Amino acid sequence: MTDTFKGSKYALATPEEREFELRSHLGAIWTGGRLFIGMYTFMLASLAFSYFYLRSSNNAQLWRPNHITAPTYYGFFIYGFMVLTAILAIYGQWRLRKGEVADWQVAGWTGVASGLIALFLQIWEFTRVPFYPGSSGYASTFIGYAVMNIGTIAVGTYWLETTLARSLRMRRELGEGAELSSSPSAQSFRANVASMTYNWGFIALGATLFLVLFYLM
Amino acid sequence: MTISAERPTEATAGTATPAGPRSGSSWTNRPGWMSQHLGTAIVLGFLGYIFGHWWGNHLAGSYSYIANNGQNGVADFLGLALMVLGWLLGIGALNYPIMKLFGREAREEPPAPGLSKYFRYTLDHKVVGMQYVVGVLLFLFTGGLLAMAIRTELLNPTVHIFNPGTYIEIVSEHGTIMMMMATSIVVGPLGNYLVPLMIGSRRMAFPRIEAFSFWIFTAGYMVIFSALPYGGFNTGWTGYAPLQTQNGPGMISYLFGFAVIGMGMMAAGFNIAVSIINYRAPGMTWSRVPIFVWSILATASLLTLATPVLFSAGLFGILDKTVQTAFYVDEHGGSSYLWQNLFWFFGHPEVYIMALPGFGIVAEILPVFTRKPLFAYKVAASGMIGVALLSFFVWQHHLFQSGINPDMRPLFMLTTELISIPTGFIFLVGMGTLYRAKIRFEIPMLFAMALFFNFLIGGVTGVFLSDVPVNVTVHGGFFVLSHFHYTIMGGLLFAFMAGLYYWLPKMTGFMLNKKIGLVHFWMMFVFFNLTFFPMFIIGLLGQPRRVFTYASNLQGLNDFSSISAFLLGASFIVFAWNLVYSMWISPEKAPANPWESLGLEWQTATPVPAHNFDRIPVIMTDPYHYSEANAPALADFGGAAPVASDTSSTSNPA
Repeated sequence: MTDTFKGSKYALATPEEREFELRSHLGAIWTGGRLFIGMYTFMLASLAFSYFYLRSSNNAQLWRPNHITAPTYYGFFIYGFMVLTAILAIYGQWRLRKGEVADWQVAGWTGVASGLIALFLQIWEFTRVPFYPGSSGYASTFIGYAVMNIGTIAVGTYWLETTLARSLRMRRELGEGAELSSSPSAQSFRANVASMTYNWGFIALGATLFLVLFYLM
Repeated sequence: MTISAERPTEATAGTATPAGPRSGSSWTNRPGWMSQHLGTAIVLGFLGYIFGHWWGNHLAGSYSYIANNGQNGVADFLGLALMVLGWLLGIGALNYPIMKLFGREAREEPPAPGLSKYFRYTLDHKVVGMQYVVGVLLFLFTGGLLAMAIRTELLNPTVHIFNPGTYIEIVSEHGTIMMMMATSIVVGPLGNYLVPLMIGSRRMAFPRIEAFSFWIFTAGYMVIFSALPYGGFNTGWTGYAPLQTQNGPGMISYLFGFAVIGMGMMAAGFNIAVSIINYRAPGMTWSRVPIFVWSILATASLLTLATPVLFSAGLFGILDKTVQTAFYVDEHGGSSYLWQNLFWFFGHPEVYIMALPGFGIVAEILPVFTRKPLFAYKVAASGMIGVALLSFFVWQHHLFQSGINPDMRPLFMLTTELISIPTGFIFLVGMGTLYRAKIRFEIPMLFAMALFFNFLIGGVTGVFLSDVPVNVTVHGGFFVLSHFHYTIMGGLLFAFMAGLYYWLPKMTGFMLNKKIGLVHFWMMFVFFNLTFFPMFIIGLLGQPRRVFTYASNLQGLNDFSSISAFLLGASFIVFAWNLVYSMWISPEKAPANPWESLGLEWQTATPVPAHNFDRIPVIMTDPYHYSEANAPALADFGGAAPVASDTSSTSNPA
């Protein structure tokens, strides 16, 4: 989510107007975060629909010949790192709320590392699948999932990283504990962290669903 | 919120967030050639294409299936993908996301001076709105020229100008360009420009996402147009498999074009929906939101939630064409019906993405020219939301003929017929507003009333088509073609024209010439009907769509339709002439509120200041209290003198 709350220097705002704009901005981050989940849900739903549609159609008896499965070890590792990132993001936000900024930073950067590992593994798995992409319905949907997952992890990790980078900048410019202050920047920052965390939680849920579909079923 | 009597000073303004150390937008705003603008976007887009194509050949050129058939979909796709990336990089859309990685922040700055701001990545919603006006008109005129080519070919069933392959490629390109354009034709120009003004906001929620939506929209135009040099595609705008699978590289342009435009649609819808929900001025409760804003909110919700499915469908198609998956290949465990389901799950809400803003425009215009309050405002708003919700449950009616389980037909017939109820609400709201009104027949009003005439025909034939027996009989023929042209062109395009004539004085500061406007309207209205009404008959007599020859006994009707189409095309030349004449040859400065509207957007200065309102207004009532004695004031503008001096913003001008 972009940080777009800036008191425009060419708009002469009264204190009440600045307060109104801040409230609107915080609301926009909240709404945007939830709407983003809505968009992501429809994207995942289209993949899940494709999975079940091809599975039930079983055209040419080629839904999943010989019960081929994508590399399970990779799958579990990718899933594990995605869930770890989500847990770290949630934990970090919880600690931030408690005023433990250092904990948030450590959890966040560990989450970024975990997200990058998941991203690397997903790309690696994509290039190492033990079946031809068009050999079956399962193979096709798995490749589709892998590509979507690369995008999902990349966007999620980017969001986490930029939030952390913003936190560092705020400290540099406003001093220690800037994230916890009542300044508009800090409020905007915390709203952004909350939306980012919420989205990572949802990403983990989606990953769980597709872990079951592609690796366990 | 209360409005302070005292005015803030520069020193206290804009101190909420410290400015970042380096601004991405100031890079895009630098004067001269050492900055980012349309030129750099073109250069980097071109270089991106060259590099992407080379890279694709390097990556995949040695694979046996590519060596055997000589078509490298990977190279074609990567060429287009890096072209889009280069385009975005060149225009400056990626500056901010890259800066964020390093913790840097951008300042919001005024747009570049003069006309140059229209060729740059600008964060002012008004500039983006004007950029969209030009963008969608470019789409419209390109698609219109292709339509002229189609009608030229259909002048004679035996003497041909194009070969069958070229003809179907023209038809496909026409349909695709028009449908892509139509999804953004109102939301892009009018939604982006007017929504903040109508809700009393100084800004959009996410201006960078808004600007991104426009520049990726233009990239999508280039991608879809690249299909022609790639050899085109012969699937029509619906891109059905297995034709999709059999097509060459032009199909990649189609699939990727939809995905790229889809990203723009999602971005635009997301930003507008969030802005409407959060940036409404104090006092603008949901029951005071202008009806046009309601229609844009319903549309933005559809754009945000339905388009991801189109994006996924396009992605799967691209994977089929590049890494050889088999999503839509029945012989390899895929299904051609899967495309139809995914495509229409987006495609039918898309119909309402096109229809709803049109309804919003006319519902906004009617009270102004009838000087009556909008009849049954809440019914209109709930009708729009009802249409948006129901539109997710009707997509399978497009599959009546192609293999849907027969048991499912009645269900989707019912949901399709059900959606005519909230649509009827909106129609009746219009009729109720017109009832016993003293109508001012200005150009916007003429276009608005034409919509009701056209949409009645389009809507009633739509109810016929939702019935399975009729659908089975006329499917794939000119009857269907005429139906959707009546709803989309007869509805949306007429509404868009109404909106342009109504709001361009606000957006540009110039009135469009009334006499030329009258010629434009009557030509467009008469020849639109003369073009498309005969097509109902042609369809019932059995002429199929997308076929370049037909039974000789239908030549008379086809010729009549073609000649009318040429004159319909000429009406757009009249419109273009009106723009040139009214803005450059004989410009007539627009009064601040030429239509004496109560709408909030008319209560600010013309041209609209950078920050829209000197003070954020506090809304006191809805903007439809026309001809009401003792009507409440629209808004408290905080003591700032109303700038629309010819009609007081705080009194009822009726």
